[in-house]
Amino acid sequence: MVLEATMICVDNSEWMRNGDYSPSRFQAQSDAVSLICGAKTQSNPENTVGVLTMAAKGVRVLATPTSDLGKILACMHGLEIGGQMNLAAGIQVAQLALKHRQNKKQQQRIIVFAGSPVKHEKKMLELIGRKLKKNSVALDIVNFGEEDEGKTEKLEALLAAVNNNDSSHMVHVPPGPNALSDVLISTPIFTGDGEGGSGFAAAAAAASAGGVSGYDFGVDPNLDPELALALRVSMEEERARQEAAAKKAAEDASKQEKGGGQHAISQDATMTENKTNDLWKQDDESALLQQALAMSMDDPEVSHDVRDTDMSEAATDDPELALALQMSVADSAKDSASQTDVSKLLADQSFVSSVLASLPGVDPNDSSVKDLLASMQSQSDKNEEERPNEEEEK
Amino acid sequence: MSAESASAVHKGQVDLLDFIDWSSVECLNQSTTHSLPNAIKQGYREDDGLHLESDADEQLLLYIPFTQVIKLYSIAVKGPEDEGPKTVKLWSNKEHMGFSNVNDFPPNDVAVLSPENLKGKPVLLKYVKFQNVRSLTIFIEDNQTESEITKVQKIQLYGSTVETTDMKGLKKIEDH
Repeated sequence: MVLEATMICVDNSEWMRNGDYSPSRFQAQSDAVSLICGAKTQSNPENTVGVLTMAAKGVRVLATPTSDLGKILACMHGLEIGGQMNLAAGIQVAQLALKHRQNKKQQQRIIVFAGSPVKHEKKMLELIGRKLKKNSVALDIVNFGEEDEGKTEKLEALLAAVNNNDSSHMVHVPPGPNALSDVLISTPIFTGDGEGGSGFAAAAAAASAGGVSGYDFGVDPNLDPELALALRVSMEEERARQEAAAKKAAEDASKQEKGGGQHAISQDATMTENKTNDLWKQDDESALLQQALAMSMDDPEVSHDVRDTDMSEAATDDPELALALQMSVADSAKDSASQTDVSKLLADQSFVSSVLASLPGVDPNDSSVKDLLASMQSQSDKNEEERPNEEEEK
Repeated sequence: MSAESASAVHKGQVDLLDFIDWSSVECLNQSTTHSLPNAIKQGYREDDGLHLESDADEQLLLYIPFTQVIKLYSIAVKGPEDEGPKTVKLWSNKEHMGFSNVNDFPPNDVAVLSPENLKGKPVLLKYVKFQNVRSLTIFIEDNQTESEITKVQKIQLYGSTVETTDMKGLKKIEDH
């Protein structure tokens, strides 16, 4: 909720025509700008935002710092692309625009979108950075688009020169399937300096599928538990759909086991994460099961972000392993509502045994596994008892 | 005459510490660990271990508004011999100055501090220029040894208040 005046420096040089960010670099940038404006004005109604362009016919201020969101969105419309970005001039003009802000109590901040190569010398950028620090202006840099060695180095030097007490940040967004705005939402540029996501940021994260910041989807459990549940359910369904699609491609590999597993997967996506909890509990009792579970746990720890790709790769190899992966990747948030569903699932012996059959190293006829299944059955009964108690407490 | 200038506090002049409006005090280019209250707040400024330090370069820009209109008589700046300030420019009633416009307006007064001044000897100012001061801007341009950082241990302002109406004291006159 810091009172802030922000100037956004937009890169509208020729390099922005490139399509490595969908739909084009310039469009992705525009969306990000709109999102930032919205977030800033929402976090504090007295915040002002202004926009200037750095390329085309030269540095031009499109909007001086204003709290009128409509005006900013309107000026982003119909911008022409061309020329080369002039980073130094852009930052200096932004500083000047901030100096003449109406409310002198506002903190000054500049957000720069650096999508094209930086032609200035590192020394010059450092000088500019120090001048910004001297006048207590914070700087956020979004490094996207063109990537060359010198550019990142120069921007790092600029950031180091400006940074005062971690108020300035740099975000590097590589090209990829995720939209530029989605990646930015989880960064300090949106969330401010450790204030925690504002309501807007959490909502924006909900709208997109991204957001990996501590919790699964922004700050959901604290702000809005119902929203969190809804998000989790939709994520699971999404993953289940992906799984099913990948499975169809790999159907030739193992038709027999698919019969039971695939059916179950497409049905009970939400319950899978709760099943994980119960399975973990059995670790002490069965060494074999423990080993299998440990194997599936190892994979997701490696890379959280690309878990979708991991899962689709695994799916082609072994659908049951993919199911285990999916379950272990999901967060272990206890949801009492689906406890009864879990017990039903566990009661379905055929399903459980089909899962265990495909797990390498587990023999369903093994006595220890049979004991395990029996104990799981009693466990599910216990869970049913616990549920009424929980509801009473509530 | 010499007796007057020798004495630290002229008759009638008080330390203006009580009239500083703390909510709007600003300082540009100060280091976060060594900030302005170290130099002007009661208690902090007496402690020589606490000082105000500059950050990116050796210049400092202080903005001190007052709760009342005051007349400024003298200023005492205490600092270390080598890194203490040298040229100090003062403006009265100029809000929100930045480093870029320090050269746009001629200062109301300039004080060049000698090592003696840095021990706490006050510098007498052009009293006539500071008769009606609502806010004071102090620009420390350089320091004694051209070093990267300027350090200030204490800043004391001496002067007197102008008789301004105390609205709380106003009482309704009864009709006779």
